[in-house]
Amino acid sequence: MEFQAIHDRLKAQGAPGLLGFDEPRPANKKEKDPGRAGMPFVTIDPAHMVEFLRVCRDDEKLKLDILCDLTASDPSADSEDLWILIQLLSIEHKHRLAIKAPLPKSAPTVASATAIYRAAQWHERECGEMYGITFEGNPDPRHILLPDDWEGYPLRKDYEFPREYHGISCE
Amino acid sequence: MGLLEEAFEENVLTTKVDWLINWARLNSIWPMTFGLACCAIEMMAVGAAHHDLDRFGAGAFRASPRQADLMIVAGTVNFKMGERVKRLYDQMPHPKYVIAMGACATGGGPYYKYGYTVMKGVDRIIPVDVYIAGCPPRPEALLEGLMKLQEKIKRTPVIRRPARTA
Repeated sequence: MEFQAIHDRLKAQGAPGLLGFDEPRPANKKEKDPGRAGMPFVTIDPAHMVEFLRVCRDDEKLKLDILCDLTASDPSADSEDLWILIQLLSIEHKHRLAIKAPLPKSAPTVASATAIYRAAQWHERECGEMYGITFEGNPDPRHILLPDDWEGYPLRKDYEFPREYHGISCE
Repeated sequence: MGLLEEAFEENVLTTKVDWLINWARLNSIWPMTFGLACCAIEMMAVGAAHHDLDRFGAGAFRASPRQADLMIVAGTVNFKMGERVKRLYDQMPHPKYVIAMGACATGGGPYYKYGYTVMKGVDRIIPVDVYIAGCPPRPEALLEGLMKLQEKIKRTPVIRRPARTA
């Protein structure tokens, strides 16, 4: 299925938390629009992320049965939101879906996607240590790359670099 | 060798103990099987047939720190790995030598400014004998580093310690 058809199917199925979609567009000089490259994505409300993913996985026409990626992004220091970014793939229907869920920096908590895709486990651990997002219900929320006692969330735009670690200077 | 020259039968050589021990050491520097990043690929190339580390007696990569004489820190050392590197170094028997291979192990390299977990040089946790520049260094550079280490071992007094300056 093409992206537009996937979006319409999600809407027809009443997928919970579906907010809208965005597609790449060419630049428009008259309206001073720089345009956008990349792939089309749907925007969802993170509060309904798990139910939304359940529809994506279980719907007959969608069958997005593989979680390719679950990551996050801090778009800018001025932004009040972090983005959770999810890539899904359907082996049977040979189509993909990109999902973006804006999550407020003030309360970065979301239900774990491991209930739907067990593969999300490691991805959520990385998002947790790098962006400080709490995934409620993740069975093993330890650090995955950083040392266990690491302080701060390195990929946040407001991250301050450590001056020393275990007595070893970082200057 | 003066007086001793004619004292024994043929096939007996006389020499200095220091020279003999250093000769044995510098011609059998066994490195540890240990690579951290892309420099390790160059290190493997040095071990392979084209560059042939075995010419220097240093091709016997040991899988245990307890059998190794040389630690080639080939790659980026971050803090989490740094503590393991220190522990491996502590497990090596004396005499032990360290080569910091490449920009990362020497001083953080390309991660110096924004690498929040990268140690700015492995010499912050273990003593380094030879630093090799490059990102990564060519195999010839590692061979030169090894030869520099051999020169250093050759100069080291073993039996006769140098007089300590107070």
